[in-house]
Amino acid sequence: MSVAVDLFIPGRSWLHQTDPRVKLLFVTVLLILLILFKNLWIMAVILLALHLLHWSAQTPFKKIWFIWKTLLPVGILMMLLRTIFYPAGEVLFSFGIFRLTTGGLTEGMVLALRIFSMALTVFAWLYTTTQSDLVQSLVRLGIPHAWGMVLALALRYIPTFQWTYTLISEAQQARGLDIQGRKGFQRVWLMMPIFIAMIISAFRASNQLAMALEARGYSSQRSKRTTLHPLSFRPADYLITAILLLIFGTLLFLYFWSGFGSHPILLLS
Amino acid sequence: MGPTGGGKTTLCLALNGIIPHSMGGTIGGRVLINGRDTRHHSVPELAQTVGLIFQKAETQLFNMTVEEEVAFGLETLGLPSAVIHDRIDWALSLVGMAKYRQRSPFGLSGGQKQRVAIAAILAMKPPVLVLDEPTANLDPIGKREVFAAVNHLRQHDGMTIIMVSHESEQIAEFGDRVAILSDGKIAYLGSPQDIFCPPQTIQSIGLNVPQVSLLADCLNRKREQQLRLIRLNEAFEALKGIQLVVPLEKKPPESESDQPSSPQFVIEDLTYHYTGQQHALDQVSLTIQPGAFLGVIGQNGSGKTTLVKHLNGLLRPVTGRVLFDQVDITSRSVAQLAKRIGYVFQDPDHMIFSETVFAEVAAGLRNLGYDEAIVADQVKKTLAEFELHPYAEHQPTQLSFGLRRKVSVAAVVAMDTDVVILDEPTSGLDQRSTDELLKILQRLNRKGRTILMITHDMNIVARFIPEAVVMHQGKILAHQSTRDLFQNDALLDMAQLNRPQITQLARQLNSPWPALTPAELCQQLLDPEEA
Repeated sequence: MSVAVDLFIPGRSWLHQTDPRVKLLFVTVLLILLILFKNLWIMAVILLALHLLHWSAQTPFKKIWFIWKTLLPVGILMMLLRTIFYPAGEVLFSFGIFRLTTGGLTEGMVLALRIFSMALTVFAWLYTTTQSDLVQSLVRLGIPHAWGMVLALALRYIPTFQWTYTLISEAQQARGLDIQGRKGFQRVWLMMPIFIAMIISAFRASNQLAMALEARGYSSQRSKRTTLHPLSFRPADYLITAILLLIFGTLLFLYFWSGFGSHPILLLS
Repeated sequence: MGPTGGGKTTLCLALNGIIPHSMGGTIGGRVLINGRDTRHHSVPELAQTVGLIFQKAETQLFNMTVEEEVAFGLETLGLPSAVIHDRIDWALSLVGMAKYRQRSPFGLSGGQKQRVAIAAILAMKPPVLVLDEPTANLDPIGKREVFAAVNHLRQHDGMTIIMVSHESEQIAEFGDRVAILSDGKIAYLGSPQDIFCPPQTIQSIGLNVPQVSLLADCLNRKREQQLRLIRLNEAFEALKGIQLVVPLEKKPPESESDQPSSPQFVIEDLTYHYTGQQHALDQVSLTIQPGAFLGVIGQNGSGKTTLVKHLNGLLRPVTGRVLFDQVDITSRSVAQLAKRIGYVFQDPDHMIFSETVFAEVAAGLRNLGYDEAIVADQVKKTLAEFELHPYAEHQPTQLSFGLRRKVSVAAVVAMDTDVVILDEPTSGLDQRSTDELLKILQRLNRKGRTILMITHDMNIVARFIPEAVVMHQGKILAHQSTRDLFQNDALLDMAQLNRPQITQLARQLNSPWPALTPAELCQQLLDPEEA
């Protein structure tokens, strides 16, 4: 009764139909911008825009919630660490050696927003791009097909391994392995049987996968492949690319020319 | 056909060149496929001549949509996109999966997944299709679907089909020739009739034969006849008109005297659903007496595994409750319950992690904190019971699937729990290993252990298991004796379950007391004096 989560969500939205190379460009440039910008307001706007993007791509609510739920602990932790260890600006509150400062708080929030935005960006790509398109877009960029396959298969097997992990840990607990309530190294040590069984399973699965690939005539040496849906730029793709380049170009220009977005609070410094 | 470790899979891999090209080892002799020597052609080349389908559907599907799955091989062949489109339509409609073109393979049932795997190979139009136990992990519906699809290919598209299977009744129905592989050699080769009649030859190497062949053999011995039956309709034609004699003392037993003992498990109004899904269990109530031997049957997705996982705390009820010896199990952890309730998982590879078979079987006992002397003693006893003692110092991961399965069951039985739960412990086992396992379970049951076993194999239910719970769409349809179950047409229809062949024949022959085994029906077909 597999309840595996697939990354790709079948659909016919404009983002699904956009050429995967355009999406790859979008992801790359946006990730660069997200790393460069340090401004709280810009981060908030990007995060909001990404939600709108997902909404327009008809991403189901629970898939968005999945991202939030998974990253929330990380986001909060990063925010707290940043806030505590990089004090700057006015002190709002102090307790012993810890000081809550306006600067620290802002930077912590920027960091958290950045994490969420990056995840939403990457998932906007993965949720709307089929495996073969994903591989194709990489191949067209000059990456060998086998490498693209490796990436695609890795993504494809994440949910499978999650499910295997659940089953294996259940199987070990049912044999009296008591990991509940244990902490730290003791827990890790007790979980060794689970990890070992995981590795053995993975090897077995990869062996069978290799044979299945061969049975379909796949060979890493052969490069002459066609595709069911060959990539081709539609007029819309040129338009989207042009708009993307224009927006990103402007932002980058502003960033380097006037320091736009490099201050935590002020838009122009 | 052949016993586990007989060389069936090895032969399949040799047919499309994976042996010798992709696997280590040495090869002698040669394999010619349409005149081409596999040693001199690469696997990708041979893939267009010989399509190979494996046992586990999950491991041979690796794309995100059914369409991409089928397209993959064609893309490898370098076909133009328009041709690929046509081939996808063609292949999917041949296996009856055209409607699912845009779906994700993971959401499909076992039978559907296996049919997509077949379509993915078919699309490459190989003239030969080799299937390595394609139905071993499927439920009855899935088996029916796959056999129907494969038979269609042979009859309408003239494909050559080579199928490894333990399903002797299906082989008798569809096969032209049967090869028996044992110890890496072809032990027998002939028509299904030659192979299955008389049945002793291949039974002696641990394989099963159609139940009607066993019946014919029984009748032949008593009457000096020469019946050679392998199919249900043949048996009906040969035997119709015979007045069945039901021995008086074998009339249906009166309902067993109610045991005064208190129930071991009480399940009350149990409802459960996986995150974001329909009810996997819907207000299920069930009482299990100590010392019961209970089969849990139903199609995939009917809630069998979900139900039994509640008995040892792996799943916690959303509503309702589960009492074990009058105590609500919510208060106890899985590991605590493990002392009294053993659970054998469906895939032995999810359980095995130790360096030796001995250590594997000892692991549970050690987890429970038993003294090392007791552990050693208990492990030795269990290994002997499972006839695993020659392998005590072997690495379990290196053993054959059948032996790994045995190790995983032994590892749980060694813990000497009051209850043993098994999730499809016989899938992928040959007849002999299956019978051995069931006999061990019967022995445990006679010692007073409660046995709960999920299974898709109705022959096993009929032969070994006295009572069964029938599940369908998250509900329990019935909990009754096996004999009553196989008389209940409406129930079997609703749960889409098959009768064992012999029970079906008994009903066609209007037996007032349907037999569960060939021996029983044989008795009924003989005059009292003959018997």
